[in-house]
Amino acid sequence: MVDDTDPKGTKQKASRRDFLKAGLLSGAAVAASAGAARAAGEPLITEIQDWNRYLGDGVDVAPYGTPSEFEAHVVRRDVPWLTADPVSSINFTPLHELDGIITPNGLCFERHHGGTAVINPADHRLMIHGLVDTPLVFTMEDLKRFPRENRVYFLECAANGGMEWRGSQLNGCQFTHGMIHCVVYTGVPLRYLLEEAGVKTTGKWLLAEGADSAAMTRSIPMEKALDDCLVAFKMNGEALRPEQGYPLRLCVPGWEGNMWVKWLRRLEVGDEPWAQREETSKYTDLLANGKARRHTFMMEVKSVITSPSPQVPVTHGKGPLVISGLAWSGGGTISRVDVTIDGGRTWQPARIDGPSLPKALHRFYLDINWDGSEMLLQSRAMDDQGLVQPTKNELRAARGENSIYHNNGIQTWHVNNDGVVENVEVS
Amino acid sequence: MLKFPKSAAVAVLGLTLLSTPSWAEGDAVAGEKVFKKCSACHAVGDGAKHKVGPELNNTFGRIAGTAEGYKYSNPMIAAGEGGLVWDDATLAEYLANPKGMIKGTKMAFAGLKKDDEIANVLAYLKTFSQGEAASAPAAEEPADAAPVEAADSTPAVSTEPAPAMVVEASKGAFGLGRVAMPEEIAAWDIDIRPDGMGLPEGKGTVAEGDPIFAEKCAVCHGDFGEGAGRWPVLAGGQDTLTRERPEKTIGSYWPYLSTVFDYVRRAMPFGDARSLSDDDVYALTAYLLYLNDVVTEEDFELSNENFSSIRLPNEENFIADDRLSEPHYAKGVEPCMSECKPGPVEITARAQILDVTPDGEGDESTGGGID
Repeated sequence: MVDDTDPKGTKQKASRRDFLKAGLLSGAAVAASAGAARAAGEPLITEIQDWNRYLGDGVDVAPYGTPSEFEAHVVRRDVPWLTADPVSSINFTPLHELDGIITPNGLCFERHHGGTAVINPADHRLMIHGLVDTPLVFTMEDLKRFPRENRVYFLECAANGGMEWRGSQLNGCQFTHGMIHCVVYTGVPLRYLLEEAGVKTTGKWLLAEGADSAAMTRSIPMEKALDDCLVAFKMNGEALRPEQGYPLRLCVPGWEGNMWVKWLRRLEVGDEPWAQREETSKYTDLLANGKARRHTFMMEVKSVITSPSPQVPVTHGKGPLVISGLAWSGGGTISRVDVTIDGGRTWQPARIDGPSLPKALHRFYLDINWDGSEMLLQSRAMDDQGLVQPTKNELRAARGENSIYHNNGIQTWHVNNDGVVENVEVS
Repeated sequence: MLKFPKSAAVAVLGLTLLSTPSWAEGDAVAGEKVFKKCSACHAVGDGAKHKVGPELNNTFGRIAGTAEGYKYSNPMIAAGEGGLVWDDATLAEYLANPKGMIKGTKMAFAGLKKDDEIANVLAYLKTFSQGEAASAPAAEEPADAAPVEAADSTPAVSTEPAPAMVVEASKGAFGLGRVAMPEEIAAWDIDIRPDGMGLPEGKGTVAEGDPIFAEKCAVCHGDFGEGAGRWPVLAGGQDTLTRERPEKTIGSYWPYLSTVFDYVRRAMPFGDARSLSDDDVYALTAYLLYLNDVVTEEDFELSNENFSSIRLPNEENFIADDRLSEPHYAKGVEPCMSECKPGPVEITARAQILDVTPDGEGDESTGGGID
């Protein structure tokens, strides 16, 4: 742990530069070996390699498997200056290294307000009370006897991109867009639990509370609670990770990640919202005129190109290039993603590949033949509600620069002749 | 709050007095009182875990920045790698002026200004350092007198079986779960609404809140709620909401006082949640009103009786979600596909100029944060 913290920054700097250098070198190596191949062939092929000769590990070496040692750089990372203390902080999903739409459990970004609670599932209880016919307590065993569902949803922190309101600041989509993940949840529809307790007709709001040391709370409209919320205990088929709320979390599809209360222990039914800290002093959007929007629950239509991006430059030179990215909307499915390579003068539709599920990440590609000239890459998503992802300047014109939350503006990456990528803004 | 029995602390103190003449004037019992200033962020004693700061068992003789599982600042780790080992002299220097000794330390505490307080708190901490006790040349005492042993000998608290609960089954469609008992609901239902629903009986004055704030809160939030480091600022900031750097405090931004009481009671002090009495929370809330000039008299008393009559200045400035009325979300507009901009596109801002990506040393934001 201690080792992790200290040289993190410096290691990273070395790794990114090494990566660039390595890219250039391997390009040169390929060229050289191509030349040599005419004479003797590529040694990786003509010579017997160690892994081709000697035995590898047996089946029990890693009872719970981990990624290849060559993928050790693919990790969540934080931005130390953002918060006062890592116990109440956030880290970021390495979107630039991932593909498809599912985030591996160990790479899902973390946001805690009082650290990760450690709870034995046998000691966990979920209480429903307030404006109900019968206040109830459930054990984990009880919950697993209700009919359950599997749903793929993205979870995005409302502050994703919050550092970019005043201009380009962080060089990497991990940092500009990495407060998001998307997994398949297994859980019980919240409405089954509420029906079991019997919500009174005056019950219009629900307060969800976590069992962690922050006892995190959010008010949720009853209409949403009865619509598509889940009380989940599995992610990607296995138990929730501790940092994602083990043993139980709330899923509030398409809405602010902060509402997806982890370590869920209490649901109170009431007739009004509770105005908790996380829905008044935080997660309210200050506008230029000094007014602040509250209850801005839905995450808006958004997209980002994940590769190339500052952490994954183009190292192969001109020719075929896969431009890859993610799009999502809290309003439903993504109906179209357009990509521009000239900073927004000309757009072409990208290809969405893989499942297109409501309130889930969508993967898009644009396969181009790069001529090696400079590019200004952008993506623009549209959802099935007809909403189009705005530019950052459109957002600023409407809201000012102090909103922190809900920055879904179009991201621009500048790719120079060498393939190096930078986070920029354009006219 | 501390589980460690005082008698054991005193017993070990005897050992340390023999072994460490130069700083031995410290009084461990007095040091326990001094430690209250530290306990907002540090735990020590049996079962102590890291809080905002590392747990402090076995600090003496430890290389700086090496308590297992705690995420130290880079400068603290560097100090340890540079050979800093915690002993009387180094700890005394550090506690007198943490940031002066280790620039960039995460410890927000300003420092202990009195030498006797330092000596006493060191004597107290020493009672939790096994290595120190074990290394004491106390021939007449068996090594068994080490503090862990003493702590182990305290009687376990929860040996009595819990009384049998009368469990009433759910009457819902599935018949799953059981009926929650009133005592259980009362134990967990601590939320408070702006209309005052949920407020417990109790009261506290500004003057009573002042010393509680100084002891429990000021280490992170500053003596006057001005905030230390990146910890939240609690007071001031009026008329800044339309400026380039708005200061969102209880007085300048928060809409309801109930949120202050609710949040302090559920989550503060950071790392020691639910440790304040209801009267303490009333007193702290009153003190925060005073810091924010909402009340002006030190003898102002806040209670469940007058709570709902207090309004915060910014309540009127919160509005409903009207994002979809913004011009860029106008429906039915087909996005432009070609010749969308008149000429070549210019770069207007670059991330590299700021160089705040966590990539090297000395990263520091110049732009917005995530709050």
